[in-house]
Amino acid sequence: MQKVKINSYQFLVLVILFSIGTSILVGPSALAAKSKQDAWIAALISTGIGLLIVWLFTKIGLWFPTLTFVQMNETLFGKWIGKFFSCLFVFLNLLFTAILLYYSGSFLTTHLIPNTPMAATNILMALILVMAVRLGLETFARSAEIFIVIFFSLFILLVIFISSEIKFENIEPIFERNIKDIAQSSLLMLVVTSVNAVSLLMIFPALINQPKQAKKSFFIGNLIGGLVVSIITILCIFVLGSDATARQIYPSYGLAKKINVGNFVNRVEALMAALWIIGLYIKMVLYFYATALGIAQICNLKEYRSLTYPLGIIVVVLSLTLFSNVMEQEQFDTTIAIYISLLIGLLLPLLMVFVYAIRKKQFKKDGGS
Amino acid sequence: MLKSIGILIIAAIIVYIEVPSLLKKKYKKELIVFSIILTIGVGMSIAHSFGKSIPNPIDFLTFIFKPLHDAITR
Repeated sequence: MQKVKINSYQFLVLVILFSIGTSILVGPSALAAKSKQDAWIAALISTGIGLLIVWLFTKIGLWFPTLTFVQMNETLFGKWIGKFFSCLFVFLNLLFTAILLYYSGSFLTTHLIPNTPMAATNILMALILVMAVRLGLETFARSAEIFIVIFFSLFILLVIFISSEIKFENIEPIFERNIKDIAQSSLLMLVVTSVNAVSLLMIFPALINQPKQAKKSFFIGNLIGGLVVSIITILCIFVLGSDATARQIYPSYGLAKKINVGNFVNRVEALMAALWIIGLYIKMVLYFYATALGIAQICNLKEYRSLTYPLGIIVVVLSLTLFSNVMEQEQFDTTIAIYISLLIGLLLPLLMVFVYAIRKKQFKKDGGS
Repeated sequence: MLKSIGILIIAAIIVYIEVPSLLKKKYKKELIVFSIILTIGVGMSIAHSFGKSIPNPIDFLTFIFKPLHDAITR
């Protein structure tokens, strides 16, 4: 169905932006809410454990180098059970696309364009979302290659500008919180950055030129993404302090507001908002791509493009109705969303490992893998 | 009322963009899936535009996972 393939560098870029995606916007506050000034430890721990999860994903992916996640499900579990699991997977992706659309809408309407109704920003965002997915994987992988340059130049600028505001006493006392709080908040981070990367199994390894190098890019991308989020978290705590970080919904935006170089370079946060919009957008595109491709493969369709506009409508409506306010969204993200992600992103792959171990001989006989 | 007319116009534009090429290539299954999803989407958006509450997956998920969450964090 899909002949286009991307190379391992483009995949690396996608993984980096995917892992940074939403975590950079809401991560620091969610981390600091539980583990206060030790949030950076939680971020680093979750980056480390994230690599283990990515290892699991690459392991599963390389068993069937030509199949996507949905097709793998059908091969491993048989037709109907496989389709059932794939439906859950697709549903998760659709839900997360809508949630991310809500994020972008609420971020824009709270901070940048407060008089615009959220429907307008969401429809505009959904239009470019549908456009990217219709043009295909290769096109948005290439645009991500351009975005990442902008992203990292802005990020480095942010780090340099803010470094004069650092107050080291904010981080003390180190390791004051007990290990349970740190573990809980690092679980949250782990889910957002690494476990949700299960959606990338729709691309890896089936739509990549060199699966072996792509495995490396998966690891490196996840590591870089985790480190960027950790750096932002550390800076938030250094500059804002743990209480202010936990209180704000978008602490990294508050961080950008603090930039003041010689009373000349200040109020550049709208520029820095480009960071979050880029990250959100690429993550949203990847979720949406997994949704459209997943539905097409569940129903054995020859192309997924015709599904993108109708799905776009659904995503917009969902994004407007899912949450009535930000508190509900935060409540959902820190409790229920974790279980859904763990169910699809960790339990299902582990089940796949289990089933593969049992049916290994059969696949070897068929020459499947 | 005005909103739902707008939604129907958008749906008509989408049909106009997609359906001819699907018909030309004789993709029957694609057409069926496309129509189902479009119907769901248009139905949901019209219901939303009239201010009716539409089934919210979040409530459903909360209903399923809340007991688990309570059991773990207690």
